[in-house]
Amino acid sequence: MCLIKPGQSGECRVRINVDGVLRTVVYGYPCSIHIDPVEKKPLFHFLPGTGILSIATAGCNLHCLNCQNWQISQANPEESQAVFCPPGKLVELANQNHCPSIAYTYTDPIVYYEYTYDSAKLARDKGIRNVLVTAGYINEEPWKRLLEYVDAANIDLKFISDDLYQRICSGTLKPIQNALVLAKASGVLVEVTNLVIPTLNDKPEQIRELAHWIKANLGSDTPLHFSGFYPQYKMKNLPSTSLQTLETAREIAISEGLDYVYIGNVRSKEGENTYCPNCKNVLIERKGYTILQNRLKDGRCPDCNKEIYGVWK
Amino acid sequence: MTRRKFIQKLITAGSVIIAGTSWLASKAAPRKFVRAFRVKKYPGSLRPLRDVSKQSKWSG
Repeated sequence: MCLIKPGQSGECRVRINVDGVLRTVVYGYPCSIHIDPVEKKPLFHFLPGTGILSIATAGCNLHCLNCQNWQISQANPEESQAVFCPPGKLVELANQNHCPSIAYTYTDPIVYYEYTYDSAKLARDKGIRNVLVTAGYINEEPWKRLLEYVDAANIDLKFISDDLYQRICSGTLKPIQNALVLAKASGVLVEVTNLVIPTLNDKPEQIRELAHWIKANLGSDTPLHFSGFYPQYKMKNLPSTSLQTLETAREIAISEGLDYVYIGNVRSKEGENTYCPNCKNVLIERKGYTILQNRLKDGRCPDCNKEIYGVWK
Repeated sequence: MTRRKFIQKLITAGSVIIAGTSWLASKAAPRKFVRAFRVKKYPGSLRPLRDVSKQSKWSG
């Protein structure tokens, strides 16, 4: 929790204390609005093949040394260009472009909380679904309130170690684990992303511990994406993650009992597809963000009829 | 003062102390939820909304 003195901003840079009143400087002012494939979030079990209107404002309440979006997440709003797009306009844009959902992403919707909340509420009223792509570093009460209007979330579980969260991200592990559990318990479609960083969190025992925690606390049906690291921002001294490391991570996670494990940021034929956890047949075949084949029938495997975790329409 | 009256005074005083302490504690504890108010003007520069159909370069 930030204690913000009058005239100062919080760690995120976009929430400030003006004469004892907390103010957000980015409400309605996204620095980025694009339509992305939903698979890019990454979300593989939510409305596959659709476009998702994706927004972000400047700022973030974490300061990850390896942030891929640091130009906007670690930016001061005074130095950040934005567009004026209040919640009503945002929802209108989604409708005009035939996007069935809106993603609050790129930086972290937690720091533009009020803008996310009001937009999500309005979008829900108009039949548009809401997706959060977040590091999950938020307290319980605001998280519970926001989740009421959220349909799906990709939440980073960057490390299974509190020490690494503190050293690399200037955060802590426990609030994120709590946020994950609460999101899943609230009925939100949850997918987890773990960025595999060579020498930091790529050891088999770390992967095993992470997968074990997900299975025990979120359920074996929770999709897990292992993402390849590329040297970025303040972590340019480490090499990129090899495909072999990612494939090993995937094998470990599957052996720990997770049903859906993917590889991202690096091309991997098997790691991009969805397989039935029961009969192992391919259900959704992907190439990058493109769906080549979707064999699901009413959210079930067409071969063994197993119900597949996801929001399919 | 009878013993009964003394005990009643003691209970009253104790209740006041407990209620007062609880009130102070609730004031001292941080609020669990604070909604931030908007500012009137964005502190950075603004640009017109352009075509949104192009995929973003950002991760996520």
